Amino acid sequence: MISGIGAAALRIAQEVGGIVLLTGQVLRALVPRPGAGAWIDGRELWKNLYKMGNRSVPIVVLTAFFAGALMMLQAGPFVKKFGATGLAGWGAGYAVLREIGPILIALMFSGRVGANNTAELSTMTVTEQLDGLRALAIDPVRFLVVPRVIAMVAMLVALTVIGDLVALVGAAVVGKAMLEIDFSTMYYSIVDNLKPYDFLHGVYKSIAFGFAIAMSSCYFGVTVRGGAVGVGKAVNAAVVASAVSIMLLDFFLTYLSA
Amino acid sequence: MTEPAIRISEVHKAYGSRRVLDGISLDLARGTKLGLIGPAASGKSVLCKLVCGLEQPDRGEIEVFGERIVGKREVDLGPLRRRIGMLFQNYALFDFLTVEQNVAFPLEQGAAGTLSAETIAERVAARLRAVGLAGSEAKLTAELSGGMKKRVGIARATVADAELVIYDEPSAGLDPVTTQKIYDLLSADQARTGATVLAISSDVAALAGFVDEIAFLYDHRVVYRGPAATIADAPNALVRQFVRGDLEGPLDQAGPGMASLDRSIK
Repeated sequence: MISGIGAAALRIAQEVGGIVLLTGQVLRALVPRPGAGAWIDGRELWKNLYKMGNRSVPIVVLTAFFAGALMMLQAGPFVKKFGATGLAGWGAGYAVLREIGPILIALMFSGRVGANNTAELSTMTVTEQLDGLRALAIDPVRFLVVPRVIAMVAMLVALTVIGDLVALVGAAVVGKAMLEIDFSTMYYSIVDNLKPYDFLHGVYKSIAFGFAIAMSSCYFGVTVRGGAVGVGKAVNAAVVASAVSIMLLDFFLTYLSA
Repeated sequence: MTEPAIRISEVHKAYGSRRVLDGISLDLARGTKLGLIGPAASGKSVLCKLVCGLEQPDRGEIEVFGERIVGKREVDLGPLRRRIGMLFQNYALFDFLTVEQNVAFPLEQGAAGTLSAETIAERVAARLRAVGLAGSEAKLTAELSGGMKKRVGIARATVADAELVIYDEPSAGLDPVTTQKIYDLLSADQARTGATVLAISSDVAALAGFVDEIAFLYDHRVVYRGPAATIADAPNALVRQFVRGDLEGPLDQAGPGMASLDRSIK
C-alpha cells in the first residue's frame, strides 16, 4: 500500500513538473525572437478563437441561464419570507459574479474545449504530426500550443462575462415569474449593492482557470504515449487535472481576496 | 576529400530494456543515395529520426553536413532541419490542412518571407502534378487513401529541394506501376538537385533500382553494405536470403511471433 501511495505521489509530481516545464516553454515562446519565424501563427490563433469561443456560446448561455435561475429559486422562498426582495438581486449577483459563474463556466469549458483540445493534440502526437513539424524546423509549442493557450484564456474570460450576464437575466426571469420580484427591483438591487470588484474578481478567476485548463489539456495532449488507448487516457487525465486545478485555484484565489 | 553528408559513429539507442541500435556506424557521401533494408523492427526508422535530430541516441556521434547534432537543443537544430526533407513512414501529414496547404507548408514556414505566394502556388501545383495528385488540392488528408497520403508526403518532403532527403518507405501502399513512377520521379529530382538520399523500403527490387548502395540492418547493426545493383547476389548469406525471400537460411527471425508463424506455415 505504501509503495502504491509513493508511486501515485511520484506520478503526480512528474505530471505537475511536466506542466510547469511546458508553461515555461509557452512563456518563452510568447517572447518574440528574431529569426524564429512568425511570433504566433495567425491562422492557428483565429481558428482556435473561433472553435473554442464561438461554438461554446450556446452551451454556456444555457448553463448560465439555469444557474442564475436556480440561485433565485433556492434563495427566493427565504427572500420572500423575510421580505427582503430588495436584496434578491444582490444575493444572486454576488454568488454568480464571484463564484458560480466563473467556476461553472470553467468546468463546462474544461469538459467541452479542454477535452477536445487534448484529444486533438494527442491524436496529432501519436500520428507523428508533431515530429512532422519538428522535422520542418517548426517548434510545436510555438505553433500549436501557444495559440491554443491564448485562445483558451481569452475565450474563457469572454464566455465568463457573457455567462455572468445571462445568469443574472436567468435570476431576474425566475424572480419575476415565480416570486413576483420586479425587474426594476432586481436591477437596482444589483446596481446599488454590487461593486465593480465583484465582477472583476470573477474575471481574474476566469483568467487563472483558463490558463490551468489550457496548460493541462495541452500537456496531456503532447505527452501522450500509445495509440487510441493512450488518447483516451490523456483526455481523461486532462479533464481530471483541469477540474482539480479549478477547485484548488478557486479556493486560493478566494482565500487571498477575502 | 569532401565531408560526408551523414556520418554516424558507434550509435546506440534503446527504449527502456528494448535495444534498437547497437553500435551503428555509417557514412554517406554528398550527392549519393543509400538504401536501408532489414527485418521489421530492426531500427531503420529510428536511425532516420536520429539523423534528423528527432530522437537523440544514448551514445555515439552523428554529424550531418559536418554539424554535430547529438545533444543539440531543438532551437539550434532548426537551420540544419531546413536543409533536410523527410518522408515519414506513417505520412505525418497535418490533418488540419488541405493537401495543397500540406505541400506548401515547408515553403511558407521554412523560407518565410523569401518566396512570393505565386511562386509557392506554382511550385506546389507542379509537385502535385508530378505525384499524380492534381485535382486533389482542396481535399483534407482524412479523405485520401493510404497511397495518396504517401504521395502527398513525398510531395511535401521534396517541394523545398532539400540537400538531404530521407524517405521512410516511399512505395508502401502504392501499386507497382505507381511505385515505378514515384521512383522515376525521385531519381529525376535527385539528378536535378544533387541531393543526398537515405531511403528505407521493404520493396527491395524497386529500391535497388533507385539507390547506389544498400545497407542491411540486422541484429541492431549494419551487417552488410554493398552496391544496390548486385544486392540479390551479395556475398552475405543473410542479405541474399532476405532479398530473395527464401524461407530457409541463416536469417534468424525466430522471435515469439515469427516462431508461431513458422509453425503455422509448416
